[in-house]
Amino acid sequence: MNAVSEPDQFDVVVIGSGAGGAPLAHSLILAGKSVLILEKGPLIEPQYRDPRGVSGFKRDELFATGPEKIIRVPNVTNTGKAYYSSHVEPDLNDEPHVYREQLGDDRATIEGYTAQVVGGGTQLYGGVSLRFTPLDFRLGSFNAGRTDILHDPDGSVRREARDWPISYDELEPYYARAERLVGINGTHENQAKPFRSGGTYQPPLSTNPISRFVEVGMDALGMPRYRTPLAVITRDHEPSGRRVPADPEQARTGYVNRYGDPLGLKSSTWVSLLAPLRDRPNFALRYNCVVTRLEAQGSRVNKVWYLDPAGSEHAVTGKVVVVACSAIESVRLLMLSGLADSRFAERINPHGLLGAYFLTHCFGGAHATVPGRYDKSVSLDSDWATDFAGTEAFIREHGLWAGAAIYNNTSDHALPLSLGRTHGNQDLDTVWNGFASDLRLTGEGLLRYLDGTFGRSLSVSFMANQVPLRENRVELHSSVTDKWGRPVAYIVKDWHAHDRYLMDVLARTSADILRYGGDGIGHHPVEGFGGVYNSDNGRARIANHILGGARFGTDPTDSVLDVHCRAWNFDNLYVTDGAFMPTAGGANPTLTIQANSFRVGDHLAERL
Amino acid sequence: MLPALQFSDDYYLNYCAKYLARRNTEARHTYGCACETSDRRARISECWRFPIVDTHHDLAEPTRSTTNAVSFIYDARGCSVSTVAVTGTFASLHQRIPLQPVRFLGRETGYLATTVLVPKKQVHIYQFLVDDTPTLDPINIQRATLDNGRIWSRFFTDGCAVPLMLERWEFQLLGPLTAHILPFRTQTGELFLKQYYDRLDRHAIGSQYRFDQAVGVVNFIDKVIAREERHHYGDYRVALSLIRDVLRQRHPGCEPADAPREAFVELYEQLGSGDVPGWDYSRYHEPRYFLQLLRRHTYTGAFSHPRNGGNVLAAGWAFLADRYRDADGNTLFDWERALESPLGTSPDYRG
Ligand SMILES: Cc1cc2nc3c(=O)[nH]c(=O)nc-3n(C[C@H](O)[C@H](O)[C@H](O)COP(=O)(O)OP(=O)(O)OC[C@H]3O[C@@H](n4cnc5c(N)ncnc54)[C@H](O)[C@@H]3O)c2cc1C
Repeated sequence: MNAVSEPDQFDVVVIGSGAGGAPLAHSLILAGKSVLILEKGPLIEPQYRDPRGVSGFKRDELFATGPEKIIRVPNVTNTGKAYYSSHVEPDLNDEPHVYREQLGDDRATIEGYTAQVVGGGTQLYGGVSLRFTPLDFRLGSFNAGRTDILHDPDGSVRREARDWPISYDELEPYYARAERLVGINGTHENQAKPFRSGGTYQPPLSTNPISRFVEVGMDALGMPRYRTPLAVITRDHEPSGRRVPADPEQARTGYVNRYGDPLGLKSSTWVSLLAPLRDRPNFALRYNCVVTRLEAQGSRVNKVWYLDPAGSEHAVTGKVVVVACSAIESVRLLMLSGLADSRFAERINPHGLLGAYFLTHCFGGAHATVPGRYDKSVSLDSDWATDFAGTEAFIREHGLWAGAAIYNNTSDHALPLSLGRTHGNQDLDTVWNGFASDLRLTGEGLLRYLDGTFGRSLSVSFMANQVPLRENRVELHSSVTDKWGRPVAYIVKDWHAHDRYLMDVLARTSADILRYGGDGIGHHPVEGFGGVYNSDNGRARIANHILGGARFGTDPTDSVLDVHCRAWNFDNLYVTDGAFMPTAGGANPTLTIQANSFRVGDHLAERL
Repeated sequence: MLPALQFSDDYYLNYCAKYLARRNTEARHTYGCACETSDRRARISECWRFPIVDTHHDLAEPTRSTTNAVSFIYDARGCSVSTVAVTGTFASLHQRIPLQPVRFLGRETGYLATTVLVPKKQVHIYQFLVDDTPTLDPINIQRATLDNGRIWSRFFTDGCAVPLMLERWEFQLLGPLTAHILPFRTQTGELFLKQYYDRLDRHAIGSQYRFDQAVGVVNFIDKVIAREERHHYGDYRVALSLIRDVLRQRHPGCEPADAPREAFVELYEQLGSGDVPGWDYSRYHEPRYFLQLLRRHTYTGAFSHPRNGGNVLAAGWAFLADRYRDADGNTLFDWERALESPLGTSPDYRG
């Protein structure tokens, strides 16, 4: 039962306040529509908005990767193993994601979650905010008829590549809008993407001197470089009313990636898009509220059921319902709704495509120890990026199906705990293992290790398209349930042979940047390079880039959503988080999710 | 009378929804490793978070930050409870501080909450008075048994250095064990720490930070096994008593903590190999596991925020800041810049 005073009918109900949900909510609130956002996570304010004057986000390494917890989920093979999570990641024992390591070996993983908090993953993200290239939108036609794609024995790359139903040019104005309203710093020159609508980046902050090696390396290799666009404001940001400190360089702290920003300089969707509209009478935000299912009558979703912070159930109605829970959880919510009502299941999934073509990125890179030492704790997430590996020339030269963005990381290993806990591992499921078992790092040995690595390690990453495969999918797990007794998401995926090859090529290219960066002639030693498929739990790895599973398209038998991200057989159901993507793009996805959400917002504003 | 603060309902709900609201009946949570599966706290996520010990920003003295805001939450959903109050050593024991209903959309949720300001570095015991009946906090994992045998709930505030879990001999034995792992027992490390502590007010350090308890990591361990990683308390209890036995066998006539440095080097290597002559494997199967745990805790304690009880006076960070400098002598780990005063120098961040 709802309290009498609180409305339960809205023009739009948006589920999830992150990159996919907030931009369209922003537009629709401004267009005068009544908007309710239901968000599972808490609201954590930056200092300037908090009545107590402090933020629940802290510059404390134990907030990013907290104390040890033990997996006690039944029916998975890693029960009893340790895991570590941020304060705004879900509790794995309450709501695990389960992935299939191999048949009969299901494991709980913290991979595949972004963050559960108002603002979603954009609270914790590194803020790397790249556009996709025009080519990323037409990989189907680009690859059709090609005979030079390597490592594609059964032709599946050509068969499965898809064009997006919209072009770069159609999305371009929305990219520009997202960049302006979210608040991004960077430079345009040398990007392989036309900025037709003009540039709206704020100026970048100073680079960390360690990035000099990347400059040298990229220049030596003829890779046009630009300052990595980052979602951190460096000047007062008029659209959101945010102000920067007297010295904007104070934003460079090393507490960036995996940390919420207590000052609100990082442009989460909360501080940039929603908080400025908080007091509008047509905007309601209910946080700590988890949506459990959608109920439909015919082609209309007429109820959104949610549990309030005390676990009591309520329903609200929206003329339009937008699902933006981040791809895995959105697919799960739609499947759970289908579990409760077979007619819903038939409508949402007539061709078995819901959950199919789940995507992340092919990612990886290289790392080296550089000469000298630098204060990496004074940095944002990245300084330099290049689209060198995103060009047709590069793609054809290497027999690839698609390209990638390459950029350097500056905030990794910036602080002592992050250095220690990722020693020998890079991923969330295995943090601390390397340090704990490397007994050489003791006393003098630990001192030598710190001398050798602290402020000296530099890495270069690539972010590339993964081949979409129908068998890479999200399902409901048959026996593992969440804290509400509902089946959890089950992730079944593997890397295609071409993905592995592509990661090898790009890892070598990343390594070359460091080789040339170190000495200008290509002889600087690189300590490690490779693609993520090489890691022990390579199947689980998702890079926090959670895409596909409800792709949009022009053919209802080949997609789950239409061009406006509306579920084909529903009149009022939309999905706007990363799930809509038919291909993952050769760059970090969030800016594209935001731009597309603005695009859908315009469509809805017209429709309502 | 200690005034109670009432934060917004949302402040409390931000903790209730994730950690308390649920339907599961399985003992799925980490604390379940350390308790009976019938214990309600084995079903709750991160029950160590309660009561909530949070930063407090004092507008009158913005740079001092000497108190924490401690919030008590009582989950009365589904029970017929009329009043809940809290009483504890942070106020006069006669004072009952009532918990107020927490509302969502104007409706009572069944959660009750209140907040008090408590100075940092302290430990306190408390009880709820549920319809006047003294009751332990059903969520909090920390409990203290008083001399009279009574059990109370307990919490501690940031930077607390009062021993809670480890006995004196355990503290002493962990001194050389942790010092062996850290880089402070090297020549440069010892010299640095001596100078660093000399420069700071010795009284601020307190007597428990003996030189062999490098940068307070043993205190960090004492706190982390009291709260966040309570499930490892048993590991320390058993493994330390076995280590004591082994050292006594090998060095009769001397206190285990005072055994020669070589004895710890040898022991450390044996723990690492898993083959420790004299170890009672029936009591603790994997000595290597204990060493790995100790390594993680030791490193974390040395280099995490001092509020967690280690890295006392930021000595761990200061060591790195001092050691790593550019040609002009400027530090290459300017940790102070990002952090709140009085610990750091950030003009903007309040902790
Ligand atoms: C540490 C980290 C670093 C990253 N760095 C980058 C980067 O540099 N660049 C980049 O492009 N991307 C980065 N990402 C990824 C980025 O966060 C995601 O791409 C983006 O947030 C995805 O948007 P989304 O809308 O799909 O999901 P989210 O932004 O995660 O939003 C989903 C929201 O839905 C809520 N929700 C879920 N289920 C329910 C439910 N049932 N009921 C109500 N609410 C629900 C969640 O709590 C969440 O707030 C990073 C992510 C992390 C975690």
